[in-house]
Amino acid sequence: MKRCNATTATADAVADTAAWRIQESLRLFQQATALNPHNVLNLKQVGRSLALLGKHRQAVDVYQEAQKLSPDDWELWYSRGLCLSHLKDQQDSALECFGCANAIQPNDGTYIQIGQILAARDQLSAAIDNYGEALQQSPESPELLTALGLLLLRAGDSQRAFDQLGASLLHEPRGARAILAAGSIIQDHGDHDAALVKYRVAAVVEPHCPQLWNNIGMAFFGKQARRYIAAISCLSRALYLAPFEWLTAHNLGLAYLAAGQAASAFQHLSAAVNLKPDFAPSYMLLAVALERLQDPDNARAACERALQLDPREPLVHLNCAVMLHNQGDGAGAAARLAAFRELSAEPEEAARLAADPEVEEAAAALELALGQRG
Amino acid sequence: MRVQGVADLLLDENNVAQVARPGTSLARPATGAAASGSSSPAVRPMSTAGRPLTGFARPGTGAARPGTTSGGRGPGTAAGAVQAAMRGAKPGTARPVTTSGRFVRLGTASLAAEPGGPFINAERLDLRKYAARPNLARVLCDYIVYVDHNMRKALELAAAATQACGYEDWWWKARLGKAYYQLGLLRDAEQQLASSLRNQARARGRRPRLGAPSAILFVGPDARGSGVAGEGRMTDYAEGEGGCAAAAGAASASSRCRTDPAAAAEMVATVMELAKVHLRLDQPGAALSLYGDAAPRQPWEPGLLLGAARVHDAMGQGEEALRLYQQVLSLDASSVEAIACLASHHFYSGQPEVALRYFRRLLQMGVSGAELWCNTGLACFYAGQIDMALPCFERALAAADDGAAPDVWYNLSQVAIGIGDASWAQQCLRLAVSLEPGHAEAWNNLAARSLLRTGCARGPHVFEAHYNAALLAWRRGDYQDAWERVGAALAAFPGHTESQELRRLLRAELMAL
Repeated sequence: MKRCNATTATADAVADTAAWRIQESLRLFQQATALNPHNVLNLKQVGRSLALLGKHRQAVDVYQEAQKLSPDDWELWYSRGLCLSHLKDQQDSALECFGCANAIQPNDGTYIQIGQILAARDQLSAAIDNYGEALQQSPESPELLTALGLLLLRAGDSQRAFDQLGASLLHEPRGARAILAAGSIIQDHGDHDAALVKYRVAAVVEPHCPQLWNNIGMAFFGKQARRYIAAISCLSRALYLAPFEWLTAHNLGLAYLAAGQAASAFQHLSAAVNLKPDFAPSYMLLAVALERLQDPDNARAACERALQLDPREPLVHLNCAVMLHNQGDGAGAAARLAAFRELSAEPEEAARLAADPEVEEAAAALELALGQRG
Repeated sequence: MRVQGVADLLLDENNVAQVARPGTSLARPATGAAASGSSSPAVRPMSTAGRPLTGFARPGTGAARPGTTSGGRGPGTAAGAVQAAMRGAKPGTARPVTTSGRFVRLGTASLAAEPGGPFINAERLDLRKYAARPNLARVLCDYIVYVDHNMRKALELAAAATQACGYEDWWWKARLGKAYYQLGLLRDAEQQLASSLRNQARARGRRPRLGAPSAILFVGPDARGSGVAGEGRMTDYAEGEGGCAAAAGAASASSRCRTDPAAAAEMVATVMELAKVHLRLDQPGAALSLYGDAAPRQPWEPGLLLGAARVHDAMGQGEEALRLYQQVLSLDASSVEAIACLASHHFYSGQPEVALRYFRRLLQMGVSGAELWCNTGLACFYAGQIDMALPCFERALAAADDGAAPDVWYNLSQVAIGIGDASWAQQCLRLAVSLEPGHAEAWNNLAARSLLRTGCARGPHVFEAHYNAALLAWRRGDYQDAWERVGAALAAFPGHTESQELRRLLRAELMAL
């Protein structure tokens, strides 16, 4: 029996779409379009079916066809932009389409798409402006607030990021992404107990999130009364869940080093270095671990590598100085210490280093030792 | 518990409920338990049948049970179940229900009366005549069951003898139950065994010991010695079939010596057999209550506790099983199964150091094998003793046969990833899949797109492969494909939050506009 009724075909197709039988619904919508070629709604559905099946180029053609019939439909612009954003080298035209869609009628989804494209291109300030504009339209969307907060965090503006994330959490108190980001900001400011309280909420929602366990581990590590065992077990769990996370391996190495287990620290630090060969602090810690394992030559090599990767990091210089001093190279140590003093005199570095009194103590002790020797 | 083959699945007439209530069926183990802690699939890998790996591979748990087809189109359909059976550790063990082919054993030379001829030809005997002579009949019955494996004749003899005793002798009823079970008549077996237990309860105190059932006598050493397993992250190990049943019989026989005859309750062997029938009928709750009733009356019997622990394990109730394994160890300090299970539990709950101690205990006891060395190596690695881990893996590789080698290579790749040596890990994984093309976990970790598809097809229980494939399809923009994959992932692990999130996004995409 052949169907001749466009409405029936459409109804069947809608049912198929709802049951995720996209191929079927595409066929029916195409039939309906053949019967009634001037129905924009049908064309739209054909395009959407194609898009859901991953045939973006064909979908774009269909949408263009539909736009000839109804040029002022924001949905068409939006859908076309969405398909273009999946195609290679079409990001610019996708942005144009989204712009047109927003010009006709602003919509949260459109803003989020624009923001994602801009963020992927590292145009952070443009993306932030875009979300700001979006929030004027719908100031209470937790999704928009979280996205803006994460972008601000990426741009380094943690105060504003925290405000946005806080607002997001106000509307959706169990959003794991926002909790994780807010917790990490709190942690950066040194309030580890408050961060742990936040993570406690997130751990219920996402018990197997490696980043979450990493942060919990570092919160335990950073507390005033340092709890190394808790930190190490949390970090181990994170590493078990995500063995490719070099940052977790680095953190675990740090925790072991602080707990005085240099051999374990070496293992994890060397794993971190293997996974991410251009991260200077890993080499620095590796040098410390090697020195404790009484391998001065390799320790010195690791130190040099760290200096080569990031000559602007004062802590690397300080650690190098301590190591050289321990090896009996007084002149080298003095040179490194001078470099450390020079770099740490810069205001932003000074503020960062002031957070940890141990750095200053170590530098002072080294100066004293070198001075006595000289 | 025997491995159920294709024929068992197709001809299963004992199914009580097509869709069992949550937490009451072995076919749907995870439904009753909350997915948290160490039993969550994100931490503890799943067996093919979709339950958390225990430390000890038991017969009947390697292949999926009927209706466990987690990734299949329609769970519980016959086609899906057959596919699952074909995919098991021993594909398509198509053993017809009515022959006990596994028990076929050549008669040993000492038993042969004349060269080439049988010792006793059971087919020719007039069984009613022997049934009237109780002592001879018992010996004859055991001979028919354990040497001849002629269950039909044994059944005939037992029926006649029961009749001769006026339906009051528990021993004959237990033999009847055994014969019915071997013939696949589970309901009859259940009836006879339960009746035997009732008789025993009535006779308690009056006749403390009666006609020692000599199960141990005929159990060949081949059925016991197949050893231990224990697995590492994803290793599994196939024990020789029938090991459990035989071990249970042996355990009960040895414990009887220790128990005071006057206080003796029902025979442990009968209880174990009845529980086995219950499990075969997919009634784990009944089996558990049976074990629970019998255990206080037999305080020195580790077999009952082990049986209950196995059921708890199969139901995904790891905590209860753990408690029972600890009790078993306090009764029998060298119970290999209990040690292996405790070790793997500690390993997956983030205490590799404790697990390592259990594994070392196993090694000290003289247990050896590729799986054990592999697990010891993994525990060493996660406990931070990498210098010990590599020699362990070397030994595992030296001891591994074709069945175990892919898993050893796979686990070695985990170590390589942990060290950060990606090319080494890749080599290990390639070796694993070349040795076993159906190694879904290894395909997942190698993870190119086409490889993921292979992984999904080969191992529907590996939720990671489905999720990764779904994520890839989502990034590519093929939402139809992504939807199907994420559905499969959630079928394998309903509590996976990332999959749930992806499905929410997909649904939003569909409902948009």
